[in-house]
Amino acid sequence: MGIKLEDIKKNYNGKTVLNVKDITIKENIITGILGPNGSGKTTMMKIIANLLEPDSGSIIYNGQCFDKIKDSLTYVSHNSYLFNDTVYENIAAPLKFREKENSYIEKRVKELIRMFQIDYLNDKNALNLSGGEKQKVSLARALSFNPEILIIDEPTANIDPNFIKLIESTLKSINEKYKTTILIVTHNTAQSFRLCQEIVFMKDGKIIKHSSTNDLINSKDTFIKEFIKLN
Amino acid sequence: MEYILEGVEGAFKLIFSFDREIYSIVLLSIYVSFASTIISAFIGVPLGLLTGIKDFRGKIILSKIYYTAMGLPPVVVGLVTVLIISRSGPLGSVGLIYTPTAMIIAQSLLVTPIVTGIVFTNSKDTGREIIEICKTLGANRKHTFVKLIKELKPLILVATVTGFGRAISEVGAVMIVGGNIKGHTRVMTTFIAMSNSMGNYDISIAMGIILLTISFISNSFLYNRTMGGNNGYKIRRY
Repeated sequence: MGIKLEDIKKNYNGKTVLNVKDITIKENIITGILGPNGSGKTTMMKIIANLLEPDSGSIIYNGQCFDKIKDSLTYVSHNSYLFNDTVYENIAAPLKFREKENSYIEKRVKELIRMFQIDYLNDKNALNLSGGEKQKVSLARALSFNPEILIIDEPTANIDPNFIKLIESTLKSINEKYKTTILIVTHNTAQSFRLCQEIVFMKDGKIIKHSSTNDLINSKDTFIKEFIKLN
Repeated sequence: MEYILEGVEGAFKLIFSFDREIYSIVLLSIYVSFASTIISAFIGVPLGLLTGIKDFRGKIILSKIYYTAMGLPPVVVGLVTVLIISRSGPLGSVGLIYTPTAMIIAQSLLVTPIVTGIVFTNSKDTGREIIEICKTLGANRKHTFVKLIKELKPLILVATVTGFGRAISEVGAVMIVGGNIKGHTRVMTTFIAMSNSMGNYDISIAMGIILLTISFISNSFLYNRTMGGNNGYKIRRY
């Protein structure tokens, strides 16, 4: 059970950038999407996140149409758009979209602000934050409504090394506590080995390996071995 | 040099004399420019947003049309308007020629492409980003629309104030369609052009000072609503 991608294809200007035959990304675990630049990682994640239309193919989630869960799925990129408003309002936005009660919104936002140690940013305009702070606010905002599926593109791209640990432990605890299915696109192999139970390795728009993290580390494929060595 | 100083002195005397004719010209200028800016904003903002955010065949050609229209020569716009509204034109029976309404129509034709073009150019990427993020956060159409307008508010203001600046400083088109008739269609710019040709520099300078003051006030308003003030509003990357 999980997210099943069948014959997904995407072309840009006549060039195939994604060609996925058949893959099932397991639910309730953290899966890493690894691969060099231009391997189709972000395209695949954007298709899963319903931000891009594939040219062909379908996505099924636990046997049902993927559209049914699009409200409990979210996508965070390393430069996610933050609203021209305070940090508090940014984190509260998904809850306001869902018309939650004010008392619940206040409680939940405070909880997330504490979790990401950004109490001092509460009333600041989100556009005035540093890259790392913006990344933390984007993550806190994405987690505000406890999504069933969380897709993160380079989760610690702009983050200070001191906070990488905090982000990683937060993602792990969310996965353990809420059984959130987390998909992480990253270049950082060490990070994917620390966080992920399974890894999908991509090259030239295709999946060349989908295995447990341990299996990938011990892969005999020279390209994968070289990639792990360099990253 | 002396005539310039005399002109400036005379200009200030005129401004503070609260001359009825001068101020009726100023009020007509503001009315015509404001009305045409409102019309242009009502057409240009939704049009620019819609065509900027949506992907469709012919978008590149449309953007070229917008950019060309942004630089339309005012006299050409004036001429086209006259051809349409003159007595022998298709709208001749309405009797609009040499009226403030004709001036509003001509200015709207000039300002609408400017508003549309600015909104179009800047909403192409930012607007799509806003829609995308709203989608990933579970916003419905209504919430997305509200967020889009709220986020693009500084851009809409920039486009509108730029349009107003263009309208109030316009002379060619309003001269052709309005005719610079005293007490009826005479506005600041046409009055400056006429006074200048007659050698009445004090009146020209007085009108110039008022025109600059109006421009300064409208731009100060824009600055306060976008980059300054206490509301924390910031322009993202327009």
